[in-house]
Amino acid sequence: MSRKIERLINLTIALLATKRYLTKTEIFNSVDGYEGTAETKERMFERDKDDLRSLGIEIEVGSFDPLFNDEAGYKIKQEKYQFELGDISSTEVSLLSLAAEAWQEASFGDVAQRALVKLRSIGIPSDELSIPASVHKLNDGGQDLSLITKAIAHNQLLAFNYLDSHLGIKMRSVVPIALSTRNGFWYLSGVDQEIQEIRTFRVDRISGAIAASAGPKDFQTPAGFDPSTAFSESSTHDFALIDVRVGKASSLRALANSHLESRFSLLIASMAWPGCFCSRTS
Amino acid sequence: MVKKFSAPLERTARLLDLVPYISSHQGISLAELAKVFNVDQGQMTSDLTTLWMCGLPGYTPLELMDLNFESGFVTIHNAETLSKPRSITFDEGVALVLGLDLLRSAISPERGDLLERINLLSQRLAGLINLPSALSATSVVNQDVSGAITAALKSRMGLEISYHSLYRDELSTRSIFPIEIVKTDSHLYLSSYCHTASDFRQFRIDRIQTATVQAVQQEIPKSPIQQSSYTCTVKVLVKTDSHLYLSSYCHTASDFRQFRIDRIQTATVQAVQQEIPKSPIQQSSHTCTVKVLTPTREVAERFKQSELHVNTEFNCQTYSTQWIERSIMASGRAVCLQSPPDIRKSIAVMAQTMLDRYKAR
Repeated sequence: MSRKIERLINLTIALLATKRYLTKTEIFNSVDGYEGTAETKERMFERDKDDLRSLGIEIEVGSFDPLFNDEAGYKIKQEKYQFELGDISSTEVSLLSLAAEAWQEASFGDVAQRALVKLRSIGIPSDELSIPASVHKLNDGGQDLSLITKAIAHNQLLAFNYLDSHLGIKMRSVVPIALSTRNGFWYLSGVDQEIQEIRTFRVDRISGAIAASAGPKDFQTPAGFDPSTAFSESSTHDFALIDVRVGKASSLRALANSHLESRFSLLIASMAWPGCFCSRTS
Repeated sequence: MVKKFSAPLERTARLLDLVPYISSHQGISLAELAKVFNVDQGQMTSDLTTLWMCGLPGYTPLELMDLNFESGFVTIHNAETLSKPRSITFDEGVALVLGLDLLRSAISPERGDLLERINLLSQRLAGLINLPSALSATSVVNQDVSGAITAALKSRMGLEISYHSLYRDELSTRSIFPIEIVKTDSHLYLSSYCHTASDFRQFRIDRIQTATVQAVQQEIPKSPIQQSSYTCTVKVLVKTDSHLYLSSYCHTASDFRQFRIDRIQTATVQAVQQEIPKSPIQQSSHTCTVKVLTPTREVAERFKQSELHVNTEFNCQTYSTQWIERSIMASGRAVCLQSPPDIRKSIAVMAQTMLDRYKAR
């Protein structure tokens, strides 16, 4: 096992250090560990390339002289290999560290930790205590967040079974356009392919595995879609006047408060008992 | 969840990431390095040994990386090719972008400077991984509340909080001395000494509605029971305000207690009843039988049940009759409480009162 690891590291170093493309022959001669028949070496090399790609290392293929039908050559571009965040200050490293720590024990916990190690490797000290925010953690979104975000980036089609409000399970086909977390739940918004309208799904109500496949070719995120407003309900609404026992229904009050603050206090002032306020219903 | 690499690939990635980390942390101890990379020291030594074998093609001594770790402290030289941290992966970028968005909602609008930096960082990261701006995270914690908690913990001050108890649907105002933030079952709790209750309490942070920093008595009052000897089952050791406390179930007091370790004069190990007796509150817990009339997702989620059908009956345990009453009422026609009879009765009274109220208009 460690032979293979050494070979992968040495291959990375060789392809990074070279200014020009290296041919396979040059690689087999200089990187230790390629042994056996030409065919075996070839197969090893193909597998190694795939392995490095799966680690996110991009290998460029090119040739010395495009005019001649030369043997293909390989190299890794330093600027693609390394973390290019530009000039970065200690405050920014602190912000990113806090961002990574928000995932503690949640879906991207391990990944965020790895990102943090890379950040720290830049060698800029951070001082998280200087940032006036610490009481925030992301909740676990289960196994699917990575798949959903990839599907958003590549306009893929997601098919999953979804639990409807009557406990029926129906297969939905959705091209996802947004992922958000609100009130401790993760939500996926997307264009439901059956009705061609935007719908929002709570991720923990998806039952079973999500299948991703290539999405419609001409897919475009609907114009005017703003992920941050996907959660405010429809724009048409009525007002309800509700009697509430003193000191009770705290979550309902919070809802009313946030929408109609002035009206809320006005009504409270005029009707001291029982507490009376306006709430929005849709 | 996130794609797991096979063991050799996982190790290759770690080795590649070790080089820039050591380069920027020359002389780091082996133990610390192992901790950063979340492996044991044996694995780290084996990783470094493998890395030590690697180098530029040609393998002349000049081109090998100069890695030293025999002393227990790690240094690396001659490793320029790999010395820059690797580019972030898609998942790593997503994790940071969402984390930053959460952080944005946690920072006071007065700190426009920080918010601006968060926006820029977020854009840069999204650009690196080709991510559309479609991810958002908002904190469940009120920003003023989190600010006050952070300030109180940092300056070792007390807090006056208004706290919403979900079970009783009541707001209470409490004077507390916060000790630490703990995460349990994906919720954040503020572990505190509550001067109002004269005991240790944990408050779910998203249920704290307001919080103001205030001076409180620093000294945690002695518990009312002043006996000189206790028999305890030790649960955990906690550090508070630079003192170590032994958090235990105290058989003498028949309740949970914390003891400051430097005040314990003698201690002997002895066999005690392992089973922690149910606290008085638990003894008054109610077992309710609920019958499903219309299976709905709302009912399934409210009572944390799966597999509901018409006429399914399930039991639930609660300490709060108010909670069960409200939950049954809120479920409307979908469920019916079968037992206990006294709660059925009080629901009937509530429903009748409601009906009367609607008839009156």
